[in-house]
Amino acid sequence: MAAEVRPVGNPPLPPPILERGVIGWMHANLFSTWFSGALTAVSCLVIGAAAIFGINWILFNADWSVIATLGGQLVIGQYNTELACPGQNCFWRPQVSVLLVTLILGMMWGLAGGGLPKRMGIAVAVILSAFALLPYSFERMGMDVRLLLGANIPALGIGWAIARYTPLGTSRNVALSAVVVFVAILLLVRGGPAIPGLEPVSVRHWGGLMLNLILAVGGIAFSFPIGIALALGRRSSLPVVKLLCVVFIEVFRGVPLITLLFMSQVLVPLAFPENFPQNSLFRAAIVITLFSSAYMAENIRGGLQALHPGQAEAARALGLPSWQTMLFISLPQAIRNVIPAIVGQFIALFKDTSLVYIIGMLDVVEISRAFIQGNPEYLASTKELFLFLGLVFWVFTYSMSYVSRRVEENLGVGRR
Amino acid sequence: MSPSLTYKGVPVWRHTQVIQWTTQFVSGILVVVLVSWFAANMINAVQDREIPHGFSFLDREYQTPIGQHFLPYESSDTFLYAFIVAATNTLIVSIAGVVLATLLGTFIGIARLSGNWIISRIALIYVEFFRNVPLLVQLFFWFYIVLALPPVREGYVLADRLYLNNAGLSIPWLSVSGLGSSLGWIGLVVVAIVAGIVVHRWLVIREIRRGSAPDPLLMGIATVFVIGAVGWLVIALSSGTAPFTVSLPSPHGAFGRISDGFTMSGGLMALMLGLVIYTASFIAEIVRAGIQSVSRGQIEAARALGLSNARTLRQVTLPQAMRVIVPPLISQFLNLTKNSSLAGAIGFSDLTNVAKTMTQTAPAVSIFLMIMAAYLAMSLTYSLIGNLYNKRISIERR
Amino acid sequence: MDPKMLKNKVYFVVAVLLALAVTLAACGGGGLSEEDVEERAQTLAAERMTDDTAMTEADVEEKAQMLAQTMVAQQMQDDQMETVGNRLQAVMDRGRVICASRNDVPGYGSLDDAGNNVGFDIDLCRALAAAVLGDPNAIEIRLITAAERGPTIQSGEVDMLVRTVTWTTSRDAQWGNYAQTMFYDGQGFMVRKDLGVSSAMELQEASVCVTLGTTTELNLQDFSNQNNLNLTVVTFEDTDALVAAYDSQQCDAFTNDLSQLAALRTALSNPDDHVILPDTISEEPLGPVVPHGDDQWFDIVKTVMGILIYAEAYGVTADNVPTEATGDTKVDRLFGLGGSFGQDSLGLDETVAQDVIGAVGNYGEIYDRNLGPDGIDLPRENGRNALWANARCTDCPKGGQIYAAPLR
Repeated sequence: MAAEVRPVGNPPLPPPILERGVIGWMHANLFSTWFSGALTAVSCLVIGAAAIFGINWILFNADWSVIATLGGQLVIGQYNTELACPGQNCFWRPQVSVLLVTLILGMMWGLAGGGLPKRMGIAVAVILSAFALLPYSFERMGMDVRLLLGANIPALGIGWAIARYTPLGTSRNVALSAVVVFVAILLLVRGGPAIPGLEPVSVRHWGGLMLNLILAVGGIAFSFPIGIALALGRRSSLPVVKLLCVVFIEVFRGVPLITLLFMSQVLVPLAFPENFPQNSLFRAAIVITLFSSAYMAENIRGGLQALHPGQAEAARALGLPSWQTMLFISLPQAIRNVIPAIVGQFIALFKDTSLVYIIGMLDVVEISRAFIQGNPEYLASTKELFLFLGLVFWVFTYSMSYVSRRVEENLGVGRR
Repeated sequence: MSPSLTYKGVPVWRHTQVIQWTTQFVSGILVVVLVSWFAANMINAVQDREIPHGFSFLDREYQTPIGQHFLPYESSDTFLYAFIVAATNTLIVSIAGVVLATLLGTFIGIARLSGNWIISRIALIYVEFFRNVPLLVQLFFWFYIVLALPPVREGYVLADRLYLNNAGLSIPWLSVSGLGSSLGWIGLVVVAIVAGIVVHRWLVIREIRRGSAPDPLLMGIATVFVIGAVGWLVIALSSGTAPFTVSLPSPHGAFGRISDGFTMSGGLMALMLGLVIYTASFIAEIVRAGIQSVSRGQIEAARALGLSNARTLRQVTLPQAMRVIVPPLISQFLNLTKNSSLAGAIGFSDLTNVAKTMTQTAPAVSIFLMIMAAYLAMSLTYSLIGNLYNKRISIERR
Repeated sequence: MDPKMLKNKVYFVVAVLLALAVTLAACGGGGLSEEDVEERAQTLAAERMTDDTAMTEADVEEKAQMLAQTMVAQQMQDDQMETVGNRLQAVMDRGRVICASRNDVPGYGSLDDAGNNVGFDIDLCRALAAAVLGDPNAIEIRLITAAERGPTIQSGEVDMLVRTVTWTTSRDAQWGNYAQTMFYDGQGFMVRKDLGVSSAMELQEASVCVTLGTTTELNLQDFSNQNNLNLTVVTFEDTDALVAAYDSQQCDAFTNDLSQLAALRTALSNPDDHVILPDTISEEPLGPVVPHGDDQWFDIVKTVMGILIYAEAYGVTADNVPTEATGDTKVDRLFGLGGSFGQDSLGLDETVAQDVIGAVGNYGEIYDRNLGPDGIDLPRENGRNALWANARCTDCPKGGQIYAAPLR
């Protein structure tokens, strides 16, 4: 029998109670000094009081019936009314669009095999499907609507399978199908006289959250390349190009978006010949995009400025022409460095889409406000309505900033 | 050597300078053509459709009320003056908002890096909540909070000096007693501030040369105060009245509305709360990123040299962090100024909203050109100050 | 970098940009389509070809003269078109009547539970669509803010402005033509009962809530100046915030058109605690406005409004629209069953009144539906908005002011 090796002396003592377990964590993080302890105590009291008051108000004092009355209008605005879509039910079109989006999310999940895309896809599909169980009567929310909502989970699965088992599952194909889906959604929602079953719905009747999302996605997609072009123009050595870009950026950054939108309605029509075909939503979308691209340009310019000149010099030394150096060496690094600022701008753009009320479009905020003002019996519920709208926006914007933070971590920004 | 390999020089159309000049020329011409086409169309439209235009309305009486205003205003004043009153409203909101938002944002940004878990969490929640909800929604939130205060006749009163109710916060304020003496004293204060800066500079230089001197900052501020106070006394004794007298707020009339003193209207309170808290959430992130960008070695070195914590922050961390902080900070200042145009929704008359009312009785085209010019002037001033400051603090690239 | 990979990347970037361009075209909708551009380019090219063929100087001169003549003729034609039938034809080609209106005022223009535009102003637009196109649903409602009313109607991009617009001389001169007063409103005040105020004259140094960008603001200032009231004003862009501010006593009084005060009183937490003061400080005749420059269209709108009013005077409702001669000459003339009131010269159908009344009902029905018992419940009996008289019995005056030019 081998001799048991015993430690000499007493067994090591556990760390002092103040440095281990929950108490240790609390000591280190909450009560390390008396000042810190006092702050903790005061904060806890304030948070507790606010929570009690808030929960009490949300559950017992608030009247949420206005949200229930608005229902589908919050999502699609006037899209399915008699004026927009005479003699038929058009609600399925935005719903199918949503299915296409879940399909893409499913493909992204299949491509990545897990992680963030998986969590996002599942969360979106489950939440959307859960809307099928809303306690509306079947007259208000038909079986077709519920089924299409419930179909989001299968759509996610199909997307996943496509990415897994078909040649579509490469990142380029997924990116291309995302672009295709965006175009398809626009066609589906807009309709066209030549397509049977898809009667055209004037963009004037697009509304609700759908409008905010379409404007935001379109605005992001276009403001990004325009912003890059402007940033390059501003850094250009050509005086005329540089001057034009600087003037453009400063004018669009210097004037409130509200004023620009108002001008797009009042002045811009005068700047075209009388019979020039015009579309006020299109004008507004252009203004929002240009406004955003001016900010985008400044963000990207910051990223380019922070780039070490050695990178470009090395590329030159390897014989890349200057446009390739810019496109494949400088820009990717510059953009990677300013992802937080760019995503911040995307978030701002999404929030700014609610300003289209100036051109009489009924986005999710405006249709709610118009409804309560036109039906004074609901005016007392303004607080509840705004709280709800705040939550809706928060869900989208917070997910955007969450995704951006994860992407940033994956790219290892700031760790090199 | 085959003749095809002889070097013939770069063809003209691939010459860098040719390409560059052609690009510039073409883009310049395109823009000029486009702009003149728009201008021509606009002039045609204005003439053909008899759309009112021009600026002759500027000397007409405005005859419309403006809610809260910082400059004295009567309805018999002209459009031009009313426009200046409205622009001043926006300017004051912007300056006050910028100062308060910077203070609050810096505080939250530092709290984000706090060692106390709860404090850093609260700061994080603050940032993630307030920057992700549209400002309009937040303005309404604060508007309802202000409305929850008691109405004017049941409001809080502190020693007959301070009135707080849902119509606003009224505090004692200086009122001009005589134009000459008031302006004279303001001029003197400007001189005093310049003198204070000179004293501060001089003491800093002395401190560097001799190693010790009275605290430059303290002495500078003291100089301003001493000159200001002496000037006040001289003016008061020579003209018989003080340059400014104190005006106390008090309830007037059958409805108990507070007048005199300075009243910050309910709408303005909600606007300031909303703007400052919203913008501070962005500034907090900028400040945090700035502080984190300063390498730890710098702070450790400062400690090793025996600098106190406060001095480390003031003379080592902040000056370096400022380089990262200033450019995006200026952007936020511009945003705050522009966002104040949402004030109309909650009952404060800012430039945009007064101008919208003006379009009822004056040409919309002219009014909108004026608003654009006014906002651009404000934005460019901020940008200019920011760029100058940025140039001063940036390191030379070696 | 591997040149092949590089090339692939370039293709990818180009593909994405192309897709974006397609989207742009799809979004455009109303913009120039590709075919349009191509067509235009071909026409231009064809013109070029003819221009390029050799010509003598004389030819050129001759051609220039011809061109000038054509242009003058064209100009004259255009000038004529300006006043006759331009807009009617445009509306018929388009298949829709575009009305600028609003969606945030109970009774006049608001949204119902399903998101449809409803209200008095919307019904007037539907009546016009029924008259011109035979379909009351062939309308497009362009929602505009108060500040946009002037520029919108001036630019002529809408066919009619019905957005609780007060008829004033300067607007008539600058904005467009006022067709017909369809509602007489006036500006008044609402205050809390416990303030003990019985007249607007007693509002000395009071604080008043008002909406921004309307005549309401101007009238309030005039009233305050005339009576030395020294009012404090709080202006709001929209009524949701304004009602909340008044309800929590941020201001002592709330001024607006009387019809709006009545409708918004029901939204207050305790409607019975508030009283609408008897004073009316302004005259607010409301009605549709048409763009300047097309007399025929102006007349059409006036006539359609007249049809609504006279149908009520003759007791014809949506349910009893005559389709065969009734023997009553006035009714038969109105409904195109005998005689005419000028439909032809306006470019309207003989039976236009049948379409209009069958689709939206007469003035009284529209009133009851939106402003009366089924809407915001404004009393009409013996008020200014009653008919001037019973048209068939001119000696039975009803004491109101709703009157239109006789249809004959």
